[in-house]
Amino acid sequence: MVEFRLPMLPQPGEVVWSVKINGIDVKLNIESNAILLDVLRDQAGSLGTKRGCDMGTCGCCSVLVDGEPRLSCLTLAAELNGHEITTVEGLANGHHLHPIQKTFTEFGGSQCGFCTPGFLVVSSALLSENNDPTDEEIKTAIEGNLCRCTGFQQIVDSIRAASDIIKENNSIEDSTSAKSNPHPGFMEGG
Amino acid sequence: MSKDKDSKEIQGYRQQPGKLPFSKPGSGGKNSFSKPIDLENIPVSQNGRKDQPWGPHRHDSLISGQVIGRPTALVDSAWKVTGQAQYGDDIRLPNELIGRIVRSPYHYAKILSIDCSDALNLPGVVAVATGIDAKNKFGVLPVTKDEHAMAVDKVRHAGDLIACIAAENENIAREAERLIKIEYEILESIHDIEDGLEDSEYPIHDRGQYHIGNSNIQKRVFQEFGDISSLEKNTVASHRSNWTFAGVNHGFTEPHAVVANWSPDGRLTLYTPQQVPHYVHRSLADVLEIPMHQINVHRTFVGGGFGGKSDPFPHEMCAAILARKSGRPVRITFDREEVFWVNRGRHPSKIEMNLHADSEGRICGIETDALIDGGGFASFGHVTTYYNGVLHTAPYEIGSFHYTGARVWTNKPASGAMRGHGAVNSRCAVEVGLDDLAEKLEVDPITLRLANLLPPHSATITGFRVTSIGMRECLERVKKESGWSEKFRKMPLGKGIGVGCGFFISGSGLPIHWDPNKFPHATVHLKIDMDGGVTIHTGAAEIGQGSDTVVSQSVAEVLGLPLDMIRIRSRESDTSPVDLGSYSSRVTFMNANAAISAAMKIRDELIKAASDITGASLNSLIVGDRRIFDKNDPAIGVSYLEALHKSQEEKGALISSGAYRTPPMGKTHKGAAAGLAPAYSFSAYVAEVSVDIETGKTTVDKVWAAHDCGKALNPLAVKGQIIGSCHMGLGQVLSEEMRYGRSGHLMNPDFLDYKIPSIHEMPEVIPIIVESNDPEGPFGAKEAGEGPLLPILPAVCNAVYDAIGVRTEELPITSEKVFKLVEKKCRLQGISNPLDLKSPRLEFSDLQNTLDKRAQLHSKRDIERRLNSNREEYYNGAIFGLEPTKSPEEIDDNWSVRVIPEENYLLSPRLAGSAWKHIERRNMGD
Ligand code: FES
Ligand code: FES
Repeated sequence: MVEFRLPMLPQPGEVVWSVKINGIDVKLNIESNAILLDVLRDQAGSLGTKRGCDMGTCGCCSVLVDGEPRLSCLTLAAELNGHEITTVEGLANGHHLHPIQKTFTEFGGSQCGFCTPGFLVVSSALLSENNDPTDEEIKTAIEGNLCRCTGFQQIVDSIRAASDIIKENNSIEDSTSAKSNPHPGFMEGG
Repeated sequence: MSKDKDSKEIQGYRQQPGKLPFSKPGSGGKNSFSKPIDLENIPVSQNGRKDQPWGPHRHDSLISGQVIGRPTALVDSAWKVTGQAQYGDDIRLPNELIGRIVRSPYHYAKILSIDCSDALNLPGVVAVATGIDAKNKFGVLPVTKDEHAMAVDKVRHAGDLIACIAAENENIAREAERLIKIEYEILESIHDIEDGLEDSEYPIHDRGQYHIGNSNIQKRVFQEFGDISSLEKNTVASHRSNWTFAGVNHGFTEPHAVVANWSPDGRLTLYTPQQVPHYVHRSLADVLEIPMHQINVHRTFVGGGFGGKSDPFPHEMCAAILARKSGRPVRITFDREEVFWVNRGRHPSKIEMNLHADSEGRICGIETDALIDGGGFASFGHVTTYYNGVLHTAPYEIGSFHYTGARVWTNKPASGAMRGHGAVNSRCAVEVGLDDLAEKLEVDPITLRLANLLPPHSATITGFRVTSIGMRECLERVKKESGWSEKFRKMPLGKGIGVGCGFFISGSGLPIHWDPNKFPHATVHLKIDMDGGVTIHTGAAEIGQGSDTVVSQSVAEVLGLPLDMIRIRSRESDTSPVDLGSYSSRVTFMNANAAISAAMKIRDELIKAASDITGASLNSLIVGDRRIFDKNDPAIGVSYLEALHKSQEEKGALISSGAYRTPPMGKTHKGAAAGLAPAYSFSAYVAEVSVDIETGKTTVDKVWAAHDCGKALNPLAVKGQIIGSCHMGLGQVLSEEMRYGRSGHLMNPDFLDYKIPSIHEMPEVIPIIVESNDPEGPFGAKEAGEGPLLPILPAVCNAVYDAIGVRTEELPITSEKVFKLVEKKCRLQGISNPLDLKSPRLEFSDLQNTLDKRAQLHSKRDIERRLNSNREEYYNGAIFGLEPTKSPEEIDDNWSVRVIPEENYLLSPRLAGSAWKHIERRNMGD
């Protein structure tokens, strides 16, 4: 005889979810009890938002909601109807990386890279509020994010370097621009 | 041929400085002029200006000054920072099913029956599989295959796999999980590591005729080297300790995930974040009973490995089985708790460490006994058991070495390889022991170490061939930069400073799957076509450590190309030559060496073509930044693209293959291969700590971390590895611990209770790179991924002693433990307020002077040895007066090598040594 145990929650209803994700209006049917991280990954196509623990302990799933960092694994998606969500995919402007993305590559902020999306969105929020943070402010901003590879030091370096770029208003080159010429001439005295 | 600049004889043409002679179709691009000779980056041996204090290297002539030695962004980092890197769970194939695994709630039980019919009847469930679907065993080491895709007869730890389900979505799969009915007969489980040494009614595994008694001993090791007989009479000071190390988990951020897909032609593609794709490849063939060529293993981006993604895993088999049964792609992703169930983390261990010093301050004996808890499966355990001993026979010269080790099965999640594999715990015990010995001898612990180091190009007591050694420089640098002499035993109560060293393999000498065919350990293929970009094919597993980058750098350097002209394909076994994977810190050493030899072949072809065009002789042509030119007159030369197009005439794309294999080395006793490596890394750290005397809380304030990586091919990545290793090691020494409850249940399989240091616990780390220029390493490089983890543990322990005068023999050093030790110390001294404790002080004895002098002499000796290529042999033992050029067992009758205990040892064996009381079944006489 089949012994069915009741699922933990009553069957959820579907709701219409309309939000802005990375500047684009998105309308989806989601389950009313769906978690934001699941919706982002499975329905909205933001696979850049990572799942490291599902219980608020790693920060890999961080996204910005109206510019504020939020752990998407602890957020009920339905609550965000009408809000603006930014994920790591929304940081770059086309092929112009956000300064924080550029410096994470150049200063060793990213090794395996799994924690990187979380760190990036959180620190981009910090830098848009405060373009000249102290080390303490940087540390406090990323204290909810776990990185097992870098030991954090090069992440802090990267954020500091990004703040320099932002302060000086330097632009970042389009990544599709021409790279090295395989047929160079000869420059004397090199 | 004359290379006279003014000679009109030269055929071909001179390029006008600053003028392009003509353009080539499709060239374009930035940096249209090359600066062929950047003398700052060319070593002195090639008439450049780059200093070489450690002498020239055989790869010097390949240095084009492009990328080697410069801080370089990882070549795949753009994918990571844009969220486009695809890790295991990011592989989404059309029509996929979600797989879930049914796990055992019991520690140890026989499975009497499994009824899947209800689960299969649930709408949305497409396939269910159990142990009978795949009965073949597998395991990472061919000698200890003891895992099944799913339990066949019994489950061996809570969380062991019993069945798996593929369903339309996760909710249905979870619901189906509950519908699978399993009948168990619960067996008595063992959890205490010491119980594993005893005979048991139901040993966790049965190794047939090789089973050791009726016990749960998976592997035992006995090793005795040197002059044991005179040990007692020479000893003037001894250190004895009994350590308990908790098990720790890798804690990588990406939980395991796998996707399996059988394509219409009947081939399997397995997408998996693996450090060692090749062994999965082999295991899949065994388990699925199909030939290897029918399988394509696709390594996705790997969200951290640290050894935890290097076994072939049962869930990888499950995904393949489910996908085969269902006819659709199957994706299985773990939650964090499941990661702890598969574990393979560092072994919980009990280590007894005895060190002895003689009147000259020489280390006349090391006696180690290590009992390690393997959990439910063998994994890499065979190797771990050896590593716990043999990896602390250097960097010091020692009089005798006695090691007994045993690994036992218990009903816990399996332990395995983790960063610093097998070396971390016993290294911690040795280095703390040396600190204590120094205290007893009344000398400075750094001087004690400096006066006992093996010289470069020597053999350790167990016969390892050590080439370059930067140990002395590491110690001297951290001593100077930390201001050691003003601080050691001079700081106020609660503040302390401590030192620790490390020694680690740079690639293991023998491949795990030993092949009689002399297969190489690493192979790299190159392909270059009209466009001039270089495609590298390698199977080396990029796991975030920068393997793709270092291989690309090596090729770019040899061919004189900027990194943006290199692209690397390292993901799929279909297209990559076999590589043994990212373990034992082997990738830089072996893969970059293979890459260099592949690139050298292309380089030769390009030089030949350049010679054909310009008429310059082959030996006068060198490779610089995208140009091949006459070293005496750089204006005579051709661009890279011209040379390439010339050499493509008649044959099309240039292709080449390069391989690396370790040279023959080491002794021949049983187990001699364990710990053999083509080179070894060395490191020395100084840590400064504050201990809150009233609460026992330890805070690490600053770390000076010197690591000898041979040559930093990418200093940015080397520093990242050093700092990251410090972080991971700090976790183990301060807070990380897999805690098991009284009933044996794992109590903290999550990141809330498994405490990895956050950014606020992380001290400032000053990474110091020492480059000892290894003769066989690629451009002189060794490893930097694992070795840097070892010294941080003992450095912190020793600093805690310096701060408050208590020594812990149990990790992690939580506040409670320190508090108790302080309390005990107060009680013994009759002090009521711990703030009245005296901080430790040390007056040096006369021996300090002797050691200082010896260290200075040895320092000279070492520099001579490393610069002199006609040096004589040096065997461990010379410091004790033995003839340095002869292996000691050949000349000294008292000097012995023993790998099986004598009978009288068994009368009073040490803890792990008691494993030898059992008789192996094949010797039982029946
Ligand atoms: S997945 Fe959200 S914090 Fe870890
Ligand atoms: S880069 Fe790997 S976890 Fe942060």
